[in-house]
Amino acid sequence: MTATEKLALLEDMLEMDEGTLSPETELEALEEWDSMAKLSLIVLIDDECGKTLTSDDIKGFKTIQDILNFMG
Amino acid sequence: MAGIRRIEYYLPEQVVTNDDLAEVFETWSAEKIYKKTGIASRHIAAENETALDLAEKACVKVFNEVAINKEEIDFLVFVTQNPDYRLPTTACLLQDRLGLRKGIGAFDINLGCSGFIYGLAVAKSLVDAKLASNVLLVTSEIYSKYINELDRSTRTIFGDGAAATVVGIDGIQIGPFDFGTDGSGEDAFKIPASGARIPQTEETSKVLEDNGNWRSQEQIFMDGTEIFSFTLREVPESVNRVLEKAGLKLEEVDQFIFHQANQFMLNHLRHVIGIDKKKFYINMADTGNTVSASIPIALKRALDEKVIGENQTVLLSGFGVGLSWGTVILKT
Repeated sequence: MTATEKLALLEDMLEMDEGTLSPETELEALEEWDSMAKLSLIVLIDDECGKTLTSDDIKGFKTIQDILNFMG
Repeated sequence: MAGIRRIEYYLPEQVVTNDDLAEVFETWSAEKIYKKTGIASRHIAAENETALDLAEKACVKVFNEVAINKEEIDFLVFVTQNPDYRLPTTACLLQDRLGLRKGIGAFDINLGCSGFIYGLAVAKSLVDAKLASNVLLVTSEIYSKYINELDRSTRTIFGDGAAATVVGIDGIQIGPFDFGTDGSGEDAFKIPASGARIPQTEETSKVLEDNGNWRSQEQIFMDGTEIFSFTLREVPESVNRVLEKAGLKLEEVDQFIFHQANQFMLNHLRHVIGIDKKKFYINMADTGNTVSASIPIALKRALDEKVIGENQTVLLSGFGVGLSWGTVILKT
């Protein structure tokens, strides 16, 4: 998966417009990054990347880039 | 062998819909709440209505049925995390309210989402050990009273309700069980200032902001992500262990009824375990997460709808606060 494809999946999950998310975006500053988004991310990463994302992993994420890195 | 003879439940009158909540929480629309939780509305206890009151109403329904006389009840087990008083025991108060015989045993069990499974284990043990013939197992919860109005994470999820289950010598056969406990998950789901460890003070009653949600230390805190991680970590293994004990394969189970926590989470759990969607019962859109009452309410509905028929194998799994979990096989 390319970085653009991964970003698109995240934008879709967060119900944000295409192209609004960038790797540098800080999660804390993102209004859409709420408890529901975190649950959705666990499911997304399992479905799309076949990886198990834990709550501890999520606590370590500071930017969108951190999520992209985890996605592999 | 001990079996479930009857289940009835009661949901309090007041209803809070997603539209009601969307008015309070600007960033979450009614559709978003439904899409992410599977809940459209939830029942909320009245101001002067406690878990005991909800329980009484559920139990009265049981005795309205000619087949079960209250004189037959010789043990009462009350599952709740929110008793009327720390003392005396709420089960004792329910004995009196219902006019049950005095020559019976009664006690409370303090468990949440796993409470029904543990309650069944206790009830079955009492009957199989011939310490009782008919156990009235009550699961009743009023989490709404301990949730801050401005806490999206919990207000959208929880609903109040009570179920009354009679466990006797015949009926739906119960067992085997698998149990699990992990106290290291203490902080994932907690009311911090609710007992001896952190006494209530003026300080603990202060409502503080936490990532867009507001609550005090005397109100429920739930880390949904942590709980989701926990269920994915433990529940599939628990299901496997109980199937192994029962000598069954996953495909041989006719219906799975999990604690009705959150539809989004349940669907993923179902997918991870590999359960056929048709065999996975979810019916929580109008109740929300009723904690220890959720499984018996869902089980009663599944039986009434004939989703579960005769000579079928059902698997129940409850998991959550504690962290605590339990899984059991039933045979109709």
